[in-house]
Amino acid sequence: MCFEAAPASGLDDLQTRLNQWSHLWTQESESASRTEAQQLVAERLASWMERCFGQRMQSSLRGKENQISLASSTPVFNAFLGRRATRELSRRVLQDI
Amino acid sequence: MPRLVRWIWILLALQLALGMIAYAHFLITGQYSLLGWYFWALGSLFFLVMTATECCLAIICRTWFDWDEPMRLAWGMIACAALARLAGTLLRAVSDGHLPWGYWHRFSQPSGGLFVSLSQLGMVVGGPLSMAFLAIGLGRVLSIQRKFHLVGSLTRGDRALLLLVLAFTISQLYINLPLSGNHPSLGTMLLWLSDPLLSLLLIEAILVRRSVIRMGQGLVAKCWGMFVLAIVVTSAGDAAIWASNHGLLSASLTALSWYIWFVAAAAFASAPAYQLAAISLTRESSVVLPLRG
Repeated sequence: MCFEAAPASGLDDLQTRLNQWSHLWTQESESASRTEAQQLVAERLASWMERCFGQRMQSSLRGKENQISLASSTPVFNAFLGRRATRELSRRVLQDI
Repeated sequence: MPRLVRWIWILLALQLALGMIAYAHFLITGQYSLLGWYFWALGSLFFLVMTATECCLAIICRTWFDWDEPMRLAWGMIACAALARLAGTLLRAVSDGHLPWGYWHRFSQPSGGLFVSLSQLGMVVGGPLSMAFLAIGLGRVLSIQRKFHLVGSLTRGDRALLLLVLAFTISQLYINLPLSGNHPSLGTMLLWLSDPLLSLLLIEAILVRRSVIRMGQGLVAKCWGMFVLAIVVTSAGDAAIWASNHGLLSASLTALSWYIWFVAAAAFASAPAYQLAAISLTRESSVVLPLRG
């Protein structure tokens, strides 16, 4: 069985989206590099996190760099909500950023 | 508050409101007739509805986790605990004739005191067995919370409560163990496990509470907070039974303490309802989707 190589532009796009997922959680919410749409997603995601887990959860998830990354947030979401629910959330976020 | 949780607490409020009428009747007349009917009919029905709801919701929560996810086992154990509580409620209702919809057992009652042992079996299944399942489930949850450094350090108050719980457990063992020389039934000995298991649950509840405080007031935090509330209320009910058996409570206070079990049942049912609401939140369009258009 062989797989066709994914187009480089697709991988770049995915990488950009994954980076944006991480950046969504960062403190610098008024970052100039963000589009208005991303800003809105970030705000809604933060509000979702507060409703779903609690207002102090964000600080519990921050790593050494004081950022919530994909690596630090996904295992927690997987553990408490299940992989399927987290996948659903990620799919929606990645679609919209 | 999620809709399902709201319904559970509305049902509890209605149950308690009706219960207060029966209680007022008892206080005024001094007769147990209306109070007895209330607990026999509405009380049994309420417990059955709440435990069945809890069981169904916990099973649904379990299905949201894949077979290799640790929380699947936790929710499986919680579902087993709910199922055991439901089975215990049914067994006791059948054996004691507390089913509100008829006296069918009177016509099918075999000789030989089967119903006495069935009642005890119901107490064991709904008591220690259910507690053991819940203790395993909460233990699993605690290990997950610890993995993510969500279990905070214990306060002085927590430590004092833990010491109190341990002292109570040891004192109960000290009272019960010498009785084992009287050749008690297996059911009786299994019922002795109730206090140590409840103590274990209280210890777990104290630790879970720490993590809930650390998270905040979200749906996931409230889910585990409801288990804490249910365990604490169960302990209070247990303490009331103990106090009543030792003549420390008046008849009116004893009757009032029976209502505490409705709160525990509602809290147990609310926990998986909160978890389901948290899972549903990831599918809600308001999380991210309104960006389009």
